[in-house]
Amino acid sequence: MSTPTGNFNQRAAQLKARRARRMRLHNLAAYSVLVVIALIMLYPFYWTLITSLEPTGNIYEAKLLPSGLSLKNYAAVLSGTTVPFLRMVLNSVVICTVGVIGSVTFAALAAYPLAKMRFPGRDLIFYAILALVVLPNEAGLIVNYVTTIKLGLLEQRGPVWDTLTQYAAIVLPSVASIVGLFLIRQAYLGIPLELIEAARIDGAPELLIWRRIMLPLSMPTIAAFAILEFVALWNSFLWARILPLDPQMLPLSAGLLELSGTFATNSRATMAGAVLVIIPILIVFASLQRYFMKGIEGAVKG
Amino acid sequence: MSLLRRTAAPPRRRRDRRAAARSTLLAYAFMLPFLALLLLYHTWPVLFGTYLAFTEYNIISPPQFVGLKNFRELLGDAQFWSGVQNSLKYLLVVPVIQLLSIAVAMLVNRPLRSIGFFRTAYYVPVVTSFAVVGLIWTWMYQQSGPVNWVLTHLGLMQRDRSLLGNPASALYAVMFVTLWKGVGYYMVLYLAGLQSIGRELEEAAVIDGATRWQVFVNVTLPGLRPTILVCSLLSTISAVKVFEEIFVMTQGGPVGSTYTALFFTYAKAFQDFRYGYAAAAGIVIAVISLAFGIVNFRLTRGGRVDA
Repeated sequence: MSTPTGNFNQRAAQLKARRARRMRLHNLAAYSVLVVIALIMLYPFYWTLITSLEPTGNIYEAKLLPSGLSLKNYAAVLSGTTVPFLRMVLNSVVICTVGVIGSVTFAALAAYPLAKMRFPGRDLIFYAILALVVLPNEAGLIVNYVTTIKLGLLEQRGPVWDTLTQYAAIVLPSVASIVGLFLIRQAYLGIPLELIEAARIDGAPELLIWRRIMLPLSMPTIAAFAILEFVALWNSFLWARILPLDPQMLPLSAGLLELSGTFATNSRATMAGAVLVIIPILIVFASLQRYFMKGIEGAVKG
Repeated sequence: MSLLRRTAAPPRRRRDRRAAARSTLLAYAFMLPFLALLLLYHTWPVLFGTYLAFTEYNIISPPQFVGLKNFRELLGDAQFWSGVQNSLKYLLVVPVIQLLSIAVAMLVNRPLRSIGFFRTAYYVPVVTSFAVVGLIWTWMYQQSGPVNWVLTHLGLMQRDRSLLGNPASALYAVMFVTLWKGVGYYMVLYLAGLQSIGRELEEAAVIDGATRWQVFVNVTLPGLRPTILVCSLLSTISAVKVFEEIFVMTQGGPVGSTYTALFFTYAKAFQDFRYGYAAAAGIVIAVISLAFGIVNFRLTRGGRVDA
């Protein structure tokens, strides 16, 4: 067939095939690069996991499979003879729960007037908070340390009281989150004012409007911020390491460093500890990563 | 509205004023817990920290005002300046991490199957604590460890040596960890930036006969400029203030080769108990990072899309 249309069809098919072939090649190249990067990102974790499962052998060797399988390193960590690991798990859970609830509640409360009320001093307060982000805060650690000591949060007054005040000492400095305030205020700004006005005319008190209108309508942002905050609290270690805390009171990430000190001769046990610290955060991250990514993107676009 | 209110009858005005006062009070009540903590843990450190920089202070006895003594001492403190030098060297991370993150973001922006897996995988180091990451890499860097295995097998290293234990390589070894942990974070930001550009512009350029590189330089890169500003600003500031990696992996060693500026303030405050001196060093670091922030802002032209 040498009619013009036949020729055209043939050439179109050829072009299409060539394009598909080129596309496949491109994709193959892309996948190989993706896989190499994934290996670089994940192998250290995998290596730590398999090494922590080995009973003996050349510990730091590069490997793809464990030379043997044993849970004795995990038993060593969890038995808690040197470091109260399970207690640290509890500490981390308490700190994360209180910290997340506190920072979400306080930021969500404070953002409401800043977004939807008129009152004298509003802009001043808003810009003052903005300035705090820009202002350098290098001495923060030092002054917060002094403040914590002066507030008497680390004084001995009896077991129950001490536990409560030491938790407070760890968690309080991170509860007022400026990022959280901005994110949530941004979400509030998108809620139509008519909705609030209507509720006000119906005589609804502001607290009720906040709880019944503002909170539900900004839930996606609040959830994203809550996840960000949880991850940050779970991972923080510096502040707790600096405070002169009872070793019983350390949260997990800080406790892990304690573990690496006491298990200086048994890195495998520390590796087991590291795996145990990572697993919860990976579970949280994997199950909530959609909100999580949105939260990060929102934090930038904000 | 306010005009109407002002011309209203006196009794009404009083009631209005009382209502306004009540709603103002309410507004502040809403903000009270947040503002109280903010003042205590964010504002107070800025104010009191600045004051401390001009004092001798060890917590036990009250701060003694000493004027500029701390700053004068800092000028002659070789340890501090070598710390600043190491912090400035750390800035090498910034361009590398930005270029890598943009490249990775473009790679994972493709509509490939199971791309979600790769995005998640690259983000795992980001959500892992430096306490864990630092320990893992300390082990990975051991003399007989996986990093040496790779480097010797690629022919990049002649014989096994401890990268973290060697003053010539320790800082770069730590820098690599910062890079490895940070790429995923900036990748997500750039991904958001790329998606806000949209495919239409790029496709239009391709139809007009632009090459891949031309599209990248003329469409993608300008569209990313606001994101580049945010990201390079963030990474510049965190490079100057690098601390947690150092704290977990090297404690400033070996022979001070990873002793950074912020590590200096930490050591002065929490090892030597010289809080005033440490606060002064903190102020100098803050000024330096602010200066780099401004330079950065200039270089990226304020993140404007045009120009």
